[in-house]
Amino acid sequence: MKDKPKDGKLRSRIRDISLFYHKKGRMPSFSEMGELTGLRSKNSVSKLVDKLDRLKVIGKDAKGRLIPRSIAASVRILGSVEAGFPSPAEEELADTLSLDDLLIENPDATFLLRVSGDSMSEAGILPGDMVIVDRGQTPKSGDIVIAEVDGQWTMKYLRKRGESITLIPANPNYKPIKAKNELKIAGVVTAVVRKYR
Amino acid sequence: MDNTAPITIHSWPRAILHLDADAFFASCEQAIHPELKGKPVITGKERGIVAAASYEAKACGVKRGVRLSDVKKLCPDAIILPSDYETYSLFSLRMFGIIRRFTPDVEEYSIDEAFADLTGLRRNFHGPYSLIARKMQEAVERELGITVSIGVSLSKVLAKMGSKHKKPHGITMIPGREIHGYLRNLPIQSVWGIGPNTAAFMRKFGIDTALDFALKNEEFVTKRLSKPYQEVWHELNGRSIYPVTTESKSSYQSISKTRTFTPPSKDETFVFAQLSKNLENACIKARRYGLAATRLIVFLRKQDFTDSGVQLKLTCPTAHPSALFSLLREGFDHLYRPTTLYRQTGVVLAGLIAETAVQYTLFDDTAQIEKMSKVYEAVDMLSEKFGKYTVRHAVSLPTKIQSQHEGERGDVPQRKQELFKGENNRQRLGLPVLDVKV
Repeated sequence: MKDKPKDGKLRSRIRDISLFYHKKGRMPSFSEMGELTGLRSKNSVSKLVDKLDRLKVIGKDAKGRLIPRSIAASVRILGSVEAGFPSPAEEELADTLSLDDLLIENPDATFLLRVSGDSMSEAGILPGDMVIVDRGQTPKSGDIVIAEVDGQWTMKYLRKRGESITLIPANPNYKPIKAKNELKIAGVVTAVVRKYR
Repeated sequence: MDNTAPITIHSWPRAILHLDADAFFASCEQAIHPELKGKPVITGKERGIVAAASYEAKACGVKRGVRLSDVKKLCPDAIILPSDYETYSLFSLRMFGIIRRFTPDVEEYSIDEAFADLTGLRRNFHGPYSLIARKMQEAVERELGITVSIGVSLSKVLAKMGSKHKKPHGITMIPGREIHGYLRNLPIQSVWGIGPNTAAFMRKFGIDTALDFALKNEEFVTKRLSKPYQEVWHELNGRSIYPVTTESKSSYQSISKTRTFTPPSKDETFVFAQLSKNLENACIKARRYGLAATRLIVFLRKQDFTDSGVQLKLTCPTAHPSALFSLLREGFDHLYRPTTLYRQTGVVLAGLIAETAVQYTLFDDTAQIEKMSKVYEAVDMLSEKFGKYTVRHAVSLPTKIQSQHEGERGDVPQRKQELFKGENNRQRLGLPVLDVKV
């Protein structure tokens, strides 16, 4: 491409403008833009703005004020297209989920829990793992739950058969537990996180 | 005057809700350590005094601010925990988040209190305001595992009175026609916004209860009392004056940072380092809000809990520690006695003005100031990326000579002890961690 050598410079300028936008929550003025990009004259800033406008990085409203376009998208979600360059992939990526969105359904009701025992090892939950516990969901039969039985906290599969409730471990070395008295359920395990390095 | 008649016959011209968490810090601890439910729990181990006590501990007579050595006599089985402000803040944010599911008009009044405007929401919930209050209370309890008390009435003052009326885990609805009944039994000094002096003044006019005050005529109120109390008078009469302010706090009059350390120290370098660390922290906060200080207050607390302090005027408003160190040193030298043991230091940045409104004089070295702004901007950026204190002033480093609290008080919350792979001392996952062995 013709303006290949300048590509890096433009990219870093877009990054600076994007950083400004995300930090201050507003677009820079023309003079601030000049400071950001190292352009001394308003005319060169204006040229840059037009260029970015064509690239759909930023836009202008009816009064000529700057509005963010692709730089408004979360930098993190876009991964490798960090600078917010328009690319065919961008449309596709606009609706992606972050890992947080994927793992956490009710942000207000989600807790972490570090696993210490091995009673769910066959279900792939090992000591040292972090499980994500949702307190907002109603536990259903078949869910993995954090429950208190007779003063002891435990993590097991929940099985409901009519009136009877049983907690079933996923490790043959442990026995299923039938709740004698009251069964308190602290939450439903919705995910397990294991970080290797 | 007839004090059995209703103050207003309108039940709900407005519906303002006040939510107050019950023994908030202690409740958070019970929520993440479920085995502590129903037991006397006290937080504040690192401070040596009770920061919060669960209702079980309150039942033994433990109050806020009591020394922990006295707690052991009052309540021998009390479980005393170090404060875990990170967890409390997470709970607080979630509590506000839950309230916002019901109405967008939420005021975060303090870490454990909120006001919300429910006016007009009945049709949305197909039920009375009491139903909305109950649903809110249940949602907080189910999702966070803590209990809250709620008051709903026509104004903020009345709503706050309601949430205090039945605690813990209460809901108090005060519609217009029932206001007088609640005011009748409330001593005047217990009204929100009325201090001991004003209460004493009012008693001279035969005002002993909130109802006496509410029934005074407007002429008396405007003639004898200043505007804040006139507003309280309107609020007590069910006319809402104080708005539910939804934007979060964006400005401060002053910013203060204090730190206690155990054991007490008389080491000059160490005590000054503690002070400079406070200064750095206060400046970080000031810069975050785009503020600059015009006055600096420095104080030292001795081992016997007596304070000495000094206020210094700045020649040029700033939020840069580098520009404040010489003044800090001056204040410190004025206060510090080499033979005295100190247990706490503090700084206050006062007379805060917007950074953009700073006027430089002819003699200020603006080039240097500009340079330092860039330096601190970079410092703040680095802290945001890598955690607090990534870059700090060397003068604060001697704080590391001893940990903040040695001995028993040095216990740190579970959250900071057991880190998940990838977490570090400065940055941890933004979710509360349940402490249960499973």
